[in-house]
Amino acid sequence: MKDILLDVKAVSKRFGGVAALKGIDLIQHRGETLGMIGPNGSGKTTFVNVISGHTKPNAGSVSFDGHSLSGSNPFQIAKSGLTRTYQAVRVFGELTVRENVATALVDARDAASPDAVAEIADWLRISHRFDARAGSLTLMEQRQVELLMRLVQKPKLMMLDEPVGGLSSAEVRIMIGVLSELKGRCTIFVIEHTMKVIRELADKVVVLMAGEKLAEGPPAQILSDQRVIDQYLGTADA
Amino acid sequence: MTTVAETKDPSPRSIGHGLPLACFAAVAFATPFLLSGNRYLAFVAGVTMIHILWASGMNLLYGYTGLMPLMFAGLAGISAYMVVGLTAAGWSFWLALPVGALAASIAGTILGLPSLRLKGFYFTLCSLVIQTVVTLAFVYFSGLTNGDTGISQIPLPSFAGTPLSGLAYDLVLAASAVIGVVILMVIVQSTLGRRLIAIREDDELAGMLGINVTGYKMIAFFIGSLFAGIGGALYAPYIGFISPRSFDVLISMNIWLMVAFGGRGTIWGPVIGAVLLAPLSFLLQEYYTVKDVLYGLLIIVVIVAMPGGIAGGFKRKRREAAAPVDVAASRRSVK
Repeated sequence: MKDILLDVKAVSKRFGGVAALKGIDLIQHRGETLGMIGPNGSGKTTFVNVISGHTKPNAGSVSFDGHSLSGSNPFQIAKSGLTRTYQAVRVFGELTVRENVATALVDARDAASPDAVAEIADWLRISHRFDARAGSLTLMEQRQVELLMRLVQKPKLMMLDEPVGGLSSAEVRIMIGVLSELKGRCTIFVIEHTMKVIRELADKVVVLMAGEKLAEGPPAQILSDQRVIDQYLGTADA
Repeated sequence: MTTVAETKDPSPRSIGHGLPLACFAAVAFATPFLLSGNRYLAFVAGVTMIHILWASGMNLLYGYTGLMPLMFAGLAGISAYMVVGLTAAGWSFWLALPVGALAASIAGTILGLPSLRLKGFYFTLCSLVIQTVVTLAFVYFSGLTNGDTGISQIPLPSFAGTPLSGLAYDLVLAASAVIGVVILMVIVQSTLGRRLIAIREDDELAGMLGINVTGYKMIAFFIGSLFAGIGGALYAPYIGFISPRSFDVLISMNIWLMVAFGGRGTIWGPVIGAVLLAPLSFLLQEYYTVKDVLYGLLIIVVIVAMPGGIAGGFKRKRREAAAPVDVAASRRSVK
């Protein structure tokens, strides 16, 4: 049996009268790339917020690498090796890329050595931008900096919230290449609307619909599931 | 890839501070001697030194951590009243000073707790209320503070049994300003400074990178309030008189203005701000009715026209000039 990395049990979250998540169960194994899809407002980002500690769930439990995350702060969760990116790219815009990376190293669980940092930056093809202000970079470069800042902390799990959002089709191709190589560096959880990303990267797909888990399985099976086609993908897109 | 390997060095900017610091220290220590013939001007310079210390503490909180604590003067007042009370009770000033400063630090850390929930403007508003309550407390507890009448004829401290001369105390004030700036420089270039800047820029992202945002905000308050407290303790015997008005919201605003006008988040901006603005209230003493109007105008000018302050203004211009080059280079690299 494979090693369970993320174990989510019956997680629910309400915002006033709105049930954003209704009893979600989910298991992710180490090394397995898990894709999460679903229409806008189906609770995908809320799910990631609950796991990363930004939002406290009303019910349910989350355990990561054998330890319960209940009641942990985001910084404690980050230090346990679980990291995330945001739907809207988020870097320290006023600081240079070098300062962004240095900030990521300060309280890292397992800070990469300068050589390892250089290797990751070369791999992400962002080394030449180290002295530029992060806010002056293109969206694609900022996404690369985001990944760099996470990777220098040597995370066990990286949760990516729409990693190709806003990128051009050429950039999406590059990013898919980057993400497929990223699988060799840490376990990935990815939220995406771009089915191409899910099809090429995910080992398992979870479909959220109005806060509930609609389906779960390998991409080929999910993308041909009639309920998923009817309620999310639509016939033209499928 | 030599550039990337340098990542570990947290302070590429540190080299640039040595010369200005040496110049500042030389001027700070020379001023009391140069002005020793004119007690009034020496006094204005001494008050400016206290304001440099205060502005540096405010800069740590406002410039580097992104919190605008308008109860800063209240914290200085807590320390000042405490030191005056303790020395009146027979304590040595040099023992009362750390005790009073520590009290201000602890009070500042506790009064800073709302910042853990309230961001930006909302915390500022809350700190304004706290400052008001602290001022009212100075009036209310008249048994300790002598209320609105204030405490006068506070003597200069003595050292080794003999009272300090004006010149000697001026040198103490110069030393405190220089040490304050040095401590701020050390903090900014340390990993603590990096964490505080991360919290200023985006506290949620900082937390996501493993930074204990709550803990470091409280550390920032502790240290920033220590600056307020030491300044307050030194202020009381220098002026010789303290009252609730010595530490009211206008004083907080003045200190904030020195930081904002000079350039928040830079070491030397707030020092320049204090040097330019602290003597202003003495120069305008005969026009005290227009003084507050002038301060008000200056606040508006700073907010509207120069949000980066004097030092920040230069920084921004340099960046704007550099930006188009950056963008062009990046487009090329993507293609």
